[in-house]
Amino acid sequence: MIRFENVSKVYARGARPALEDVTVDVARGEFVFLVGASGSGKSTFLRLVYREERPTGGTVYVAGRDLSRLSSWKVPSLRRSIGVVFQDFRLLPGKTVYENVAFALQVIGKPRHTIKTTVPEVLEMVGLDGKEKRMPHELSGGEQQRVAIARAFVNRPQILLADEPTGNLDPTTSLGIMRLLDRINSTGTTVVMATHDDEIVNEMRKRVVELSTGAVVRDEANAGYGQREPILPAVGQTPVLDAPGRDAPARPPRVRVTPEPADLEAERAAEVAAARATPDDTPDDPTAPHVEVPAHAEPVEHDSAEAVVQRVLRERDTATAARAGREA
Amino acid sequence: MRLQFVLTEVLHGLRRNASMVVSVILVTFVSLTFVGAAALLQMQVGKLKGDWYDLVEVSVFLCPEGSTAPTCADGEATDKQIDAVEQVIDTELADVVDTTYFESKADAFESFTELYPDGYQGTQLTEDDMQASFRLKLVDPEQYQVVADVLEGRSGVEVVEDQRAVFEPLFVALSRASMLAAGLAGVMLLAAVLLITTTIRLSAVSRRRETGIMRLVGASNLFVQLPFMLEGAIAALVGALLAVGGLWLAVQYLVTDWLQDAVDWVAYVDVGDVLAVAPLLIGIAVLLAVVSSVVTLNRYTRV
Repeated sequence: MIRFENVSKVYARGARPALEDVTVDVARGEFVFLVGASGSGKSTFLRLVYREERPTGGTVYVAGRDLSRLSSWKVPSLRRSIGVVFQDFRLLPGKTVYENVAFALQVIGKPRHTIKTTVPEVLEMVGLDGKEKRMPHELSGGEQQRVAIARAFVNRPQILLADEPTGNLDPTTSLGIMRLLDRINSTGTTVVMATHDDEIVNEMRKRVVELSTGAVVRDEANAGYGQREPILPAVGQTPVLDAPGRDAPARPPRVRVTPEPADLEAERAAEVAAARATPDDTPDDPTAPHVEVPAHAEPVEHDSAEAVVQRVLRERDTATAARAGREA
Repeated sequence: MRLQFVLTEVLHGLRRNASMVVSVILVTFVSLTFVGAAALLQMQVGKLKGDWYDLVEVSVFLCPEGSTAPTCADGEATDKQIDAVEQVIDTELADVVDTTYFESKADAFESFTELYPDGYQGTQLTEDDMQASFRLKLVDPEQYQVVADVLEGRSGVEVVEDQRAVFEPLFVALSRASMLAAGLAGVMLLAAVLLITTTIRLSAVSRRRETGIMRLVGASNLFVQLPFMLEGAIAALVGALLAVGGLWLAVQYLVTDWLQDAVDWVAYVDVGDVLAVAPLLIGIAVLLAVVSSVVTLNRYTRV
């Protein structure tokens, strides 16, 4: 679906390349995490896929098209087969939820009756049924990202690119977004997601492509986030850092994040919509990726928003405990 | 759907940039009024020429008594010389000259006394002070030079005079005025182009978020740029219509209702001429808008 062959990208002459000799092949229907530090080339990778940028070396193939030979008037048609989601949502502040999603169809000239049936469908799918008339500023971050995803997905693209879609969201809300992306992936859409969120990557156990200073350093299936790069140089003993009482590294005070009730509500609604849709939309298909999705995909478990909160907090506690155990 | 969507976008843009749009309208209005005025002045000159050149003649003055011209060395033109000149007019200039009329000294004196019954500036003149001449009406008044070339220098012919020369200063003045208007129009048109460019750019920048999303979801270039183009075109078109309206009012009230009554022996431009100029003005306006939008949009809303 997406194939990079020895792709390099240099932004300014003489500058360090943003991508260097990258060769990656993403198959149809795959879910790939793109991880790496800031500036490692994740965003450039995505921008090359939807031809916001052109490679300075190598070839990019997307959906069977050689992007280096794609004339600029064919770019719109390429982009109609790609949905893109960003960290900052990029919604139109003057338009309602419905209008924001409908906008994506209007501007590619879809007939009105198509828009009228498709937009409510996709809004139901992302769990925003009944919030069509809200303005973006009336929504929580998680809900706004759901609108952005609905807009990216409303034209049923073959590929969904997500550039740190959870970067602005609290962990629980992020989880909801991830399940939404997972559900979209299970409809057969190829999903490539750039992220820093190690917890999400570790939990989802999908293919992970790690970039470091523009090169692929790891490409593993069912992988975790991997080792974080040491951010600060090792510091020797200092009177401040090693002051009395500090020798036993205390756990930092835990910040408890309570997710927006609206986000949980949306997640539950999306879950219900998915449950309702599954029997009709995806008939017995043993290869469908959603089968591999962990048990949380089953809606029965989440009959109330409160239950979701409880479960998430429980999971986080276990994860933290496990990490503490490793460190000790 | 598409049309409605584009029109909504256009209305939105026009409202958001109201003050800029108004300035575009005013600048195109003023500049196109100048263009139109220049065109109408040219038309007026054409009308006057058509009207007056029908009346003007070429006068071939024959040698009077005591002329110092070299061709008049033999004194007053003799009948023989007059016949020879007439012969030449009838043969060599047959294609150029429409009608020939010989004004004898007696005829000249008659029309003179008609004009000045009390003598010219206090001097009583006699028939002998008059000068005989051929009055030639040309098929095409512009061909004066041909007549002059053939007849000047012949013995008995003192001078060949083109009555058109009388009108020249007026036509020169009108032409200069029309050129001045055209020059001002050029400057104003330049201002209009720059202003439309700026307006479209502002509009494009203020809607960068929308256009960014449009590109992202795969809207075609035309679809992204069309609203901006239409905005510019609508503003320029309104300016052009105002200019046509202004010229119409000016011609109706200044020329037809006032000048026509005051000086009624001249043919003037009328509202029909304004309507003839209108397509030109509208065409210029649309051209301006298209050129400025293409230049701007290629720079500001590209991928």
